[in-house]
Amino acid sequence: MAEITSQEEKQKLVKAYTAMVLSRTLDKKIVNAQRQGRVGFYTPTIGQEALQIGAAMALEENDLIYGYYRDVPLMISRGVPIDLIINQIMGNSADISKGRQMPSHYGSRKHNFMSIQSPVATNLPLAVGAAYSLKYRKKKNIVLTTFGEGSTSTPDFHAAMNMAAVYNLPVIFLCENNGWAISLPVEKQTKVDIWKKADAYGMPGTRVNGNDILETYAAVRTAAKNAREGKGPTLIDAISFRMGPHSTSDDPTKYRSESVPEGSEKDPLTIAEAALKALKLMDDKMLESIKQKTVKIVDDKFDECEKIPPPNPVTAFEQVYSEQTWMLKEEVGDIL
Amino acid sequence: MVQAINQALSQNMEKDDSVVVLGEDVGVDGGVFRVTDGLLSKYGPERVIDTPLVELGIIGMGIGMALNGMRPVAEIQFQDFIYTAMDQIINQAAKIRYRSGGEYTAPIIIRTPYGGGIKGGLYHSQSGETYFVHTAGLVVVTPSGPYDAKGLLNSAFKSQDPIVFLEPKRLYRSIKEEVPDDMYMVPLGKAKLLNEGDDLSIITYGSMVPTVIDTVKKNKISADVLDLRTLLPLDLEAILKTVEKTGRVIIVHEAPRTLGMGAEISAVISERRIDYLQAPILRVTGPDSPFPYRLEDYYIPNEKRIMKAVSKILEYR
Repeated sequence: MAEITSQEEKQKLVKAYTAMVLSRTLDKKIVNAQRQGRVGFYTPTIGQEALQIGAAMALEENDLIYGYYRDVPLMISRGVPIDLIINQIMGNSADISKGRQMPSHYGSRKHNFMSIQSPVATNLPLAVGAAYSLKYRKKKNIVLTTFGEGSTSTPDFHAAMNMAAVYNLPVIFLCENNGWAISLPVEKQTKVDIWKKADAYGMPGTRVNGNDILETYAAVRTAAKNAREGKGPTLIDAISFRMGPHSTSDDPTKYRSESVPEGSEKDPLTIAEAALKALKLMDDKMLESIKQKTVKIVDDKFDECEKIPPPNPVTAFEQVYSEQTWMLKEEVGDIL
Repeated sequence: MVQAINQALSQNMEKDDSVVVLGEDVGVDGGVFRVTDGLLSKYGPERVIDTPLVELGIIGMGIGMALNGMRPVAEIQFQDFIYTAMDQIINQAAKIRYRSGGEYTAPIIIRTPYGGGIKGGLYHSQSGETYFVHTAGLVVVTPSGPYDAKGLLNSAFKSQDPIVFLEPKRLYRSIKEEVPDDMYMVPLGKAKLLNEGDDLSIITYGSMVPTVIDTVKKNKISADVLDLRTLLPLDLEAILKTVEKTGRVIIVHEAPRTLGMGAEISAVISERRIDYLQAPILRVTGPDSPFPYRLEDYYIPNEKRIMKAVSKILEYR
């Protein structure tokens, strides 16, 4: 386990743990709601809390994030309120994207969190362009971009890694290596350890136990420091495990037998709790109290968001362009 | 046209330091068609960016810049090579405003030479405008001469939408026009009536405009010739106006006929002005085949084929 010593870092860890619990609780709530028919679809994040929140611990407020569809913990740790996430899942009128995107495709400019796409790895070249802009404007901020290990097979991964290195850009590539791309295990995705791919592009690559929040934090902290100092990009291969299905439409028993049960020694929450206790920051009673309080917060917020009406139908045809085209005006007239 | 585009790029870079150009060989080499010639020495390598050979990277990186307050102009060396970047264009650039509830926009300009007539064969001659026009969220522009090229590009820099700017490469150096030094605008979404006549209307754009004009003049045809200039969104008003006037319409484009612009234009007309039509709408287009090398003159619509359609439509009773 990586060391943290300063008081500031200890406080960060406490805050990070609270975010982990909130993510886990919200995740389970949404999955249950989906089973009850209250939510259409969802991509669970259970098991990937430590690597996302550990990464966020190493970032500054004005750093930019180009994430993907399994990043709820990352959003929460960036201070995104859970109602923003729930509203997106519901696709209601309070949702930033007005119910246009299927669940798990969030975004919030206020939190420097770019709106999420479905096609995997297409966020990576955007992150590189964002990093170019920061460097061009001589800003000290950096970009974090996330993706699953399946994304490393795409041309977008290759293009982005190559260009980030060629232009020596302040961007961190965080591979959320949960072992499975829907049904395809990582051994069938690639013959090489993912962190080793960095070498082929001329940037440092590092592997961490992504279930260990402090280990991920330490790796991202180093990568962020290098990026801020003009030393260019880093690839971090955060080994984790997708404890849930790919999505609520997926049945993993069809293709895998291994599992990491909640509360087992590989569960990122268990590891974080051990760290908090070892550092004497929390005891069992405090941990339990946080969990109970969080369930209540999530339940209340969920019920509140569920009451928000769906978006006005007219909004489905707006914001395609800076000004609505004549075609769309005509088409909307026909539909509504 | 090369000079006019170069001037538009240079003037916009001069005026606004958020404007950058990126692409293959755009820097030291000044672009394979010399469109970005001289920009590197004026604005430096941070703004005139020679990129690795990866179209999706050029456009993806450009979108990332556009999301962060910059005004990138991405050059794709030949339109034929853009397809690996279609995911970025269709699923990122065109959808970001919509999916982010207007929080983010991606005002990137994607410039690319298109069309045949330079002995380029299958992979240096394509007219792929329909691929872009089918994507809501993009603006698709095709200048047919130097004056419009500069004015449309100046307007593109003012737009908040992603723009695909298709440059008819066969006309890069063949058309001479007076181009003012100032940063005048030619509006997006507005067609231009290049010739006025009473007997029929020829609707065309980009690479086919000079051929149509020459044909009309040489054969003393009394025809309206409408240069669309912007393909998405179409200038509906201008199209309907000329249809009302002549009642006979020929659409000329270099791209293959099936689901080409002609299909959409003819649908738009028949939905709204069927009562004005005195003859079926005709299309003179490239054939539904790949673009040939040695026999390219047979592919690109010419005077003979246009005149055949003109005779047919005028004789129709």
